Amino acid sequence: MMWSWIPENASLIWQLTRENLYLGVVPALIGLAIALPLGIIAARWRWFYPPVLAAVNILYAIPSLALFIALIPAFGLTDTTVVIALTVFSLCVILPNVVAGLRGVPAAVTQAATAMGYGPLRRLMTVELPLAVPVIIAGLRVGVVSGISLASLGQLIGVSSLGYLFIDGLQRSFPTEIYVGLFLVIVLALVCDLILVAIRRALTPWAAAQPERRQRRLRQLTEVTP
Amino acid sequence: MITFEAVTKRYPDGTVAVDELDLEVPAGKTMVLVGPSGCGKTTSLRMINRLVEPTEGTILLDGTDIKARNPALLRRGIGYVIQQTGLFPHRTVEDNIATVPVLTGWPRKKARGRARELLALVGLDPALARRYPYQLSGGQQQRVGVARALAADPPVLLMDEPFSAVDPLVRASLQDQLLSLQAELQKTIVLVTHDIEEAIKVGDLVALFRPHGKLAQVAPPERLLAAPADDYVAGFVGFDRGIRRLSFVSTAGLDLDSGAVLPAEATVTQALDAGRPWICVTEAGHPRGWVDTAALATLPGGTPLGQVAAEPIGHPFTVGRDSLRAALDAAVLSPAGQAVAVDEAGGVLGVAAFDQLRSAIQHGAIQHGAIQREAAQAPDGPRGQETREVQHAQEGPVP
Repeated sequence: MMWSWIPENASLIWQLTRENLYLGVVPALIGLAIALPLGIIAARWRWFYPPVLAAVNILYAIPSLALFIALIPAFGLTDTTVVIALTVFSLCVILPNVVAGLRGVPAAVTQAATAMGYGPLRRLMTVELPLAVPVIIAGLRVGVVSGISLASLGQLIGVSSLGYLFIDGLQRSFPTEIYVGLFLVIVLALVCDLILVAIRRALTPWAAAQPERRQRRLRQLTEVTP
Repeated sequence: MITFEAVTKRYPDGTVAVDELDLEVPAGKTMVLVGPSGCGKTTSLRMINRLVEPTEGTILLDGTDIKARNPALLRRGIGYVIQQTGLFPHRTVEDNIATVPVLTGWPRKKARGRARELLALVGLDPALARRYPYQLSGGQQQRVGVARALAADPPVLLMDEPFSAVDPLVRASLQDQLLSLQAELQKTIVLVTHDIEEAIKVGDLVALFRPHGKLAQVAPPERLLAAPADDYVAGFVGFDRGIRRLSFVSTAGLDLDSGAVLPAEATVTQALDAGRPWICVTEAGHPRGWVDTAALATLPGGTPLGQVAAEPIGHPFTVGRDSLRAALDAAVLSPAGQAVAVDEAGGVLGVAAFDQLRSAIQHGAIQHGAIQREAAQAPDGPRGQETREVQHAQEGPVP
């Protein structure tokens, strides 16, 4: 481990980190944007989901490198190729969560909403989607974390990311570079994950942490009902 | 008023859930739909707010065919309460209650103000307004569900097994609250339950269903108990319907024996002179215990009764407020086989033996009117007529 290498290459490391962040987060967000309408349709018309899920699973089974190569004739050795490929992967992990989140809304709640005079669209936007948020964000977390780690593969077709440090370190037999790259990928993934957890907490104050819920329940059981 | 005219619900697989239902729910009354599972009672309820569409027949709300109404607008005028509460987990208690007012375009602030009024109306602490549903007990959630249904002051309230998921004590208090709310608000309520006791307690009218959506009998509860239309109804109502029917017979005017009541300062001699097998001993007017006069003979005549070992009273009944059923229960539980009658303040008025209760039962069986509901906070007026004759006028005084 050669510590002095880090400050000497700080600007390179910083640039690679930002590129890796971009390649990890943007495809996940595009994936979410596609998964939401698909998931809403799939949750509403059940017959729609099995074929879509099958297609998405087949795409997910394609090795990422193979997908990069397949996209090169159309988009060349560019960011776009990597973003498209990673979007497909994030879509694969986020879509099932959107569907599960919407289907997980208790029937009693949707029925009550209908019975109180909600139209289908208003019910979706103000009742069903908000209640699906925890499950959707759980999918987004997996999408972002795996995107950040998959982004380094882009380096194989020359798209810059922290993957550069792995390849360069390997070619030069310089482990410090590899360790730094590895460390930064993990830190990046953890930080993004924590941010998403914070967003979920802020969006869903009504879904308190499980242990706290149990405590409250206990308190209620011992308290006299008026 | 809600009218079902030859309403049938048939599912594509041929199952008939509701079969040619004719039913009239008078305005301002509580109609309870009761029956075994699969009898079509919930389907019938859900057809009123068009959650389920009938295959044949017509449902009229105040004379208008509900099919002619926009479903969402129709539903905003009909309160809906379900067993699982269906509260929105992501909204606070006040925003849950404010749902329909907000949907109909009230400003949020005004709607929340209304929500706080309703919290008080259903007996909840306004401090709960900012909590989320998961922070409430089952009984509290159910009260919020009722408040939410009442928020826009709809004339009609549909309740689908509203109290089935809570424990018996909470259920009884929710039922009592529904009775007192109804005495105040005079909504047209349709309530579904599988519990005949609940039907008898909260209903002005009870519609008993057979399996597969046929009506067996529609009648006020005491009629259902007194004159079941057939064996099916009698069986569903239960073998102890005779005793339960006593819930509708008042204890006012019951023949009481005050000779068997002595204060704690009275002596053993006075007790023996009373010539009763058991003496109810009182302390400052309130019941203290039963003394068996057979055990007194060996004691010095001057001993005050307060110093003699006494058996517990069990529970007394309040004359006029409690029903004959409560009085009979008090007598059954008493070691003396007699019920202790008290006034509203708990002061002993006298005792009633089985003989007195029996003559009151026989008398009460032919007597209409003066019928009080057991445990109801708000006694209501006469409940003796057949379905079609129920008066629409406001019922008796609210205390």
